[in-house]
Amino acid sequence: MKESIYTSVCPGCSIGCGLYIREDDRGAVSIDFLKSSPVNRGKLCRFGMRLPHYYSTPATGKVEGLGSGTEDAVRAAASRLRGAEKVAMLSVGNTTCEEHIAFMKLAESLGTVVHTGIPVYAELPPECHPHLEGMPFTDIENAEKIVLFIDPYVQYPLLVRRLLAAKRNGAHITSAGTTELHLAHENRKLSPEQYAELDLDGNSVIITDIHPHTDPCHIRQLLNVVLDTGARLHVVKPFVNSEGVDRLAKGRAGTMGISQIMDGIEKGDIRTLVLLDSDPVELMPDTDRAVEVLKKLDNLIVISSRDSLVNAIADVVIATEHLYRKRGTLINAEGKLQENSGQGVDGIDAMSMLSRQLGADGFDHRQMHGYLHERMIDTLASENRKPEYCRMECGTVPAQQNGACTLEYVYNPFMWFSQPDDNDFVLLDRSMVKSLGLKKGGTVRLDSEKGSMNMRYRVEKVPEGTILTGRKLPIATGTVTKIRTEGC
Amino acid sequence: MVKVGDRLLGYATDPDVRSRGASGGLVTAVLAAALEKGLVEGVVVLKRMDEYEAIPVITDDVQEVLASGGSMHAVPVNLAKHAVGRKIAMPGKPCDVRGVIEQAKRNGVDLESTYIVGLNCGGTMHPVVTREMLVRMYEIDPEDVSGEEIEKGKLIFRTKDGEEKAIPIDDLEEAGYGRRENCRYCTVKIPTSADLACGNWGVIGELAGNATFCEVMNEKGKRLLDNAIEAGFVDVRPADEKAIAIREKVNSAMLSLGSEWKEKVFTEMPDQERLSYYMEQFADCIHCGACKEVCPVCTCGEDSKCTMFHSLADNYRMSMYHMVRLLHLSDSCIGCGQCSDVCPVDIPVTSIFRRFADPAQKKRNYEPGMDLTRPPFLEVMLK
Ligand SMILES: Cc1cc2nc3c(=O)[nH]c(=O)nc-3n(C[C@H](O)[C@H](O)[C@H](O)COP(=O)(O)OP(=O)(O)OC[C@H]3O[C@@H](n4cnc5c(N)ncnc54)[C@H](O)[C@@H]3O)c2cc1C
Ligand code: SF4
Ligand code: SF4
Ligand code: SF4
Ligand code: SF4
Repeated sequence: MKESIYTSVCPGCSIGCGLYIREDDRGAVSIDFLKSSPVNRGKLCRFGMRLPHYYSTPATGKVEGLGSGTEDAVRAAASRLRGAEKVAMLSVGNTTCEEHIAFMKLAESLGTVVHTGIPVYAELPPECHPHLEGMPFTDIENAEKIVLFIDPYVQYPLLVRRLLAAKRNGAHITSAGTTELHLAHENRKLSPEQYAELDLDGNSVIITDIHPHTDPCHIRQLLNVVLDTGARLHVVKPFVNSEGVDRLAKGRAGTMGISQIMDGIEKGDIRTLVLLDSDPVELMPDTDRAVEVLKKLDNLIVISSRDSLVNAIADVVIATEHLYRKRGTLINAEGKLQENSGQGVDGIDAMSMLSRQLGADGFDHRQMHGYLHERMIDTLASENRKPEYCRMECGTVPAQQNGACTLEYVYNPFMWFSQPDDNDFVLLDRSMVKSLGLKKGGTVRLDSEKGSMNMRYRVEKVPEGTILTGRKLPIATGTVTKIRTEGC
Repeated sequence: MVKVGDRLLGYATDPDVRSRGASGGLVTAVLAAALEKGLVEGVVVLKRMDEYEAIPVITDDVQEVLASGGSMHAVPVNLAKHAVGRKIAMPGKPCDVRGVIEQAKRNGVDLESTYIVGLNCGGTMHPVVTREMLVRMYEIDPEDVSGEEIEKGKLIFRTKDGEEKAIPIDDLEEAGYGRRENCRYCTVKIPTSADLACGNWGVIGELAGNATFCEVMNEKGKRLLDNAIEAGFVDVRPADEKAIAIREKVNSAMLSLGSEWKEKVFTEMPDQERLSYYMEQFADCIHCGACKEVCPVCTCGEDSKCTMFHSLADNYRMSMYHMVRLLHLSDSCIGCGQCSDVCPVDIPVTSIFRRFADPAQKKRNYEPGMDLTRPPFLEVMLK
């Protein structure tokens, strides 16, 4: 009857909700509510509530298809990395800061850098980067005006209560995203030229997210609004420690977004890919295509706590413990440092062993933790909240073709991690349902250049011709896919 | 040997357990003795993380039970679901106990092998609200707190340097702090459906603060207490008339205060507004399912009525999930507050469910969780 309790953080997104993970004596995992967590008061969204499923598939070590212990996997990884050229390393922030730092050390000894997979950082000048962070959630509650470019209900659910609190405090909320939001006072689909109509000032907050497929142009436009109005930008990110890995990144020269990495592999500019708890098969919108591209690599080395899709095609998998068992620090969208109660150091120890096999120094958790604190002091000291960057122009955004329908991804934690959810339907607007004569409870047929499929649908107030999906669909070719459905 | 119906004053014989205990350590000692002597295989204890945080765990280690004493007023957990499918002893506030009884009516818990040591309860507070209250109302750093207690309607916090500050609970609640809303109108303060009903009301004079008032509610309660006395874990003596009267008096005062709160929270609602009230209240729901997961009276498990009829693809203005749950729980909701506590979008789920269930329960004179012999009015009783 012995139970082990871990205090941890939900791995679903950068809100970083506190929770308990309970392991019974047979290893079965369940969640419990950490009501004293100031981030979320123990409350969890659909994803957090389904964490036992997320944690039900631990990674298993392997070398060339055969099961393997850590030492053999590390040895195999070392022999593939020794002398390897055109190496890229990716860690999007699904693990602790300490493990990420260990990965950065490894990159140093391989003469390369760690990519965090978000193209916005590479494309925007470094002086903008401090503005691409979050703020204390209580600041959102105290804002006078809030403009949303996300759907908080689906994408970052624990922001909803902060927005409702802001509303009770008198804030005016505008949704400028794709779906109409119940909590917003107004829902407006705005072009960037219309942002001035929002009449924002220093007491306003703009909330958007930055993820591996965010268009840098959208962020430039928002930064211009910040520059013009003094409004604050609150940026949320999809991975539990996105904020941590972004703050830890040194220079951005040469860093790549995930799509650029995939392009690099296609072109042969990248021949070896090392992944730390980051799965391009999950992260790319077209699963089949991602697998095809990754198969072109000479070496695919995975260091991971989860048995995710990429593990099946990896040459080497070095298995580490689940996130909740790891010893280490995570930084949430508010910039809050949160410590796991777990004591596991498998990941750091494996990377240290790998480093030594590559002829560089080994390291341990304590050193990585020390480095984190030095770096954090640096970033705090260099924090500069005044907008001092210059106005940035964007190319013109291609206008949507009249009459064309698009299938658009609404990224959410289930989608990023290919986790099952009860969202096997698309969102359509009522006029489309009417014009297609769709039956209540029936399906809609979607055709793209990749194929066709029938999907259940829900009626939602979305722009005409837009079809939204919260799960990846096999007919999608990108985050936005042209659909040739009858009536479009 | 004690008798069913006995009202006693007692305490743990071990001075450490007695001093660590909330009033006399009797509850801890009774639970530990049940485990030590093999009445049960495990005990539900609160594993203390800090002053404002604890998590229920099941242990078969007597020492861990003995170390678990003390009342945590800022830990609004519910322990009922920990009794499901196990042979355990547990402490329990009235809402914990009532949850177990409702589970037992549906064969979720086997009461023959579950022992419940009930605790009187004036209410619990949310830990985050408590921290904020300490800063704003008490001007105390939450990290400096070394203990708290409730005495004569005041909430008292002690700091590590020995200072004490007391503020009337009414004042705290007026300012939006204090007990969770559902605790303010909770209708059961003494858990008479437990095996033993323990508390500090009625403990006066030299025993105040270091003895526990304990009423033996049934044969299992007698077995529990006899076992602890025989094992040498507790000492008891009969409570005198004065002690009994004081306990009764405080209980009725608390219940009438609760009725006042109930009137304040559940204002009349015209019939024509009801439907839009329910729809509007649930409009921000993200269907995380947490309110069902934590509900101590819900015995359905994975295949439940409310989830079976619900689909995220539906276009109902109020989801089938809530429509079914409101109806399904109208005979068993005990107003424990867990659903509101965990709702990620801060929907006041408890008050919505109470508003729906209260008239139905009142009409049938049915108080869930109080009487194992009364079947729920919507279901066939399995027990
Ligand atoms: C939240 C709360 C409010 C209370 N309010 C009153 C009151 O108004 N009037 C009154 O007479 N008595 C009240 N009590 C009961 C009283 O505080 C003592 O628990 C009781 O007198 C028994 O004392 P003891 O020393 O024998 O218990 P102890 O030996 O200290 O054992 C206490 C037991 O309570 C458990 N416990 C602690 N906190 C909680 C919690 N939050 N939820 C569930 N179990 C918990 C512990 O795990 C332990 O098993 C309350 C208790 C609690 C937990
Ligand atoms: S909001 Fe994000 S961190 Fe919180 S429970 Fe949901 S997925 Fe997890
Ligand atoms: S609901 Fe009642 S029994 Fe439960 S904690 Fe609140 S006051 Fe105590
Ligand atoms: S519905 Fe809510 S208040 Fe009622 S018993 Fe369930 S969790 Fe408690
Ligand atoms: S806890 Fe709240 S958000 Fe979750 S299902 Fe219940 S009412 Fe909806």
